[in-house]
Amino acid sequence: MYTLLTGLYKQWTQKEEFYIIILGLDNAGKTTLLEKIKSTFTGIEGLPPERIAPTVGLNMGKVDVKSTRMNFWDLGGQRELHSIWEKYYSECHAIVFVVDATDKERIEEVKSTFETVITNDTVEGVPVLMLANKQDVAGALSVHEIKEIFNPIAVQLGARDSTVLPVSALKGDGVRDAVDWLYLRLQRNKVDRPPVFRD
Amino acid sequence: MGQIFSRMFSRLWGSKEVRILILGLDGAGKTTILYRFQIGEVVTTIPTVGFNVETVTYKNIKFQVWDLGGQTSIRPYWRCYYTNTDAIIYVVDSQDRDRLGTSKEELAAMLEEEELRDAALLVLANKQDMEGAMSHTEVSEALGLSSLRNRTWTIYKCSAKTGDGLTDALDWLVNVVTGGKK
Repeated sequence: MYTLLTGLYKQWTQKEEFYIIILGLDNAGKTTLLEKIKSTFTGIEGLPPERIAPTVGLNMGKVDVKSTRMNFWDLGGQRELHSIWEKYYSECHAIVFVVDATDKERIEEVKSTFETVITNDTVEGVPVLMLANKQDVAGALSVHEIKEIFNPIAVQLGARDSTVLPVSALKGDGVRDAVDWLYLRLQRNKVDRPPVFRD
Repeated sequence: MGQIFSRMFSRLWGSKEVRILILGLDGAGKTTILYRFQIGEVVTTIPTVGFNVETVTYKNIKFQVWDLGGQTSIRPYWRCYYTNTDAIIYVVDSQDRDRLGTSKEELAAMLEEEELRDAALLVLANKQDMEGAMSHTEVSEALGLSSLRNRTWTIYKCSAKTGDGLTDALDWLVNVVTGGKK
């Protein structure tokens, strides 16, 4: 009886946990985005953008949406750190790929990096959200333009859920929509990538 | 009323006390780093038996820094100091390739501890001034840092002797422990 009750209690109180990796080139705004997500959903003020230094290791952000916990892994974007990304692939439930929409010179580099990420077998079928960041800056590439640039490699995405959304990690515009999009895809993709339970 | 005011005052000008542990194998340079932080100078040290504890004020935050002895025989006592730790500074001698394995094991064992679950990890690849020192990416790989899943971590290369890299590392620490709450 006791076991039954504690079992039920656990069932009710335990939280589904999902892991989301935030990838992208250096200076795309990944950590700024993470801080914005944290402050938007937890109400605690995040780190001011001017104090954010390039990430070398891992920044973690935990956000609760309804009864679900979303854990964000923000990894370093410098070239020599890309090898670390793969180590998180097998345990991630979704990928957020941040693009600096103002940096047109490096767009080819973004493209090849993105291609390497999505063609990795370990993340097959994992939802991918591309964020056209820095929309607050005049002259930033619009979602439409980004889509056009990435269309040639979009076939490689396969049957997975994916989209491009505009954000300004600095101002916070679009951050909530992005997380809502993720939340829905995580739920839909549960069969393929079941959540982790921790009590 | 008075309470409200005093709270506001401490919010504005007071400093928060943060508890930091400096750990690592013997000879990694923990004590030198501690005193670099505190007085900004290189002091001549002897192997620490027991611990050194100093308060370092940086950017209006009071760090209570515990530097624990790193010799094999006293490593088991590290755990006595784990409670209420906000962040761990793990110091590695970047030149000591032979003992990186041991360093990795000690780190892994430490991070398993329940009491350190929420502590952020700052790894310092020390002794970068020496010839043949490993780069921070090599050290990070050797320590298996990328296998960490539920912890905010970073690695900085530094030299306690010249002071290079220590300010950046400390800035990172400030950001992580305050989390923008300041």
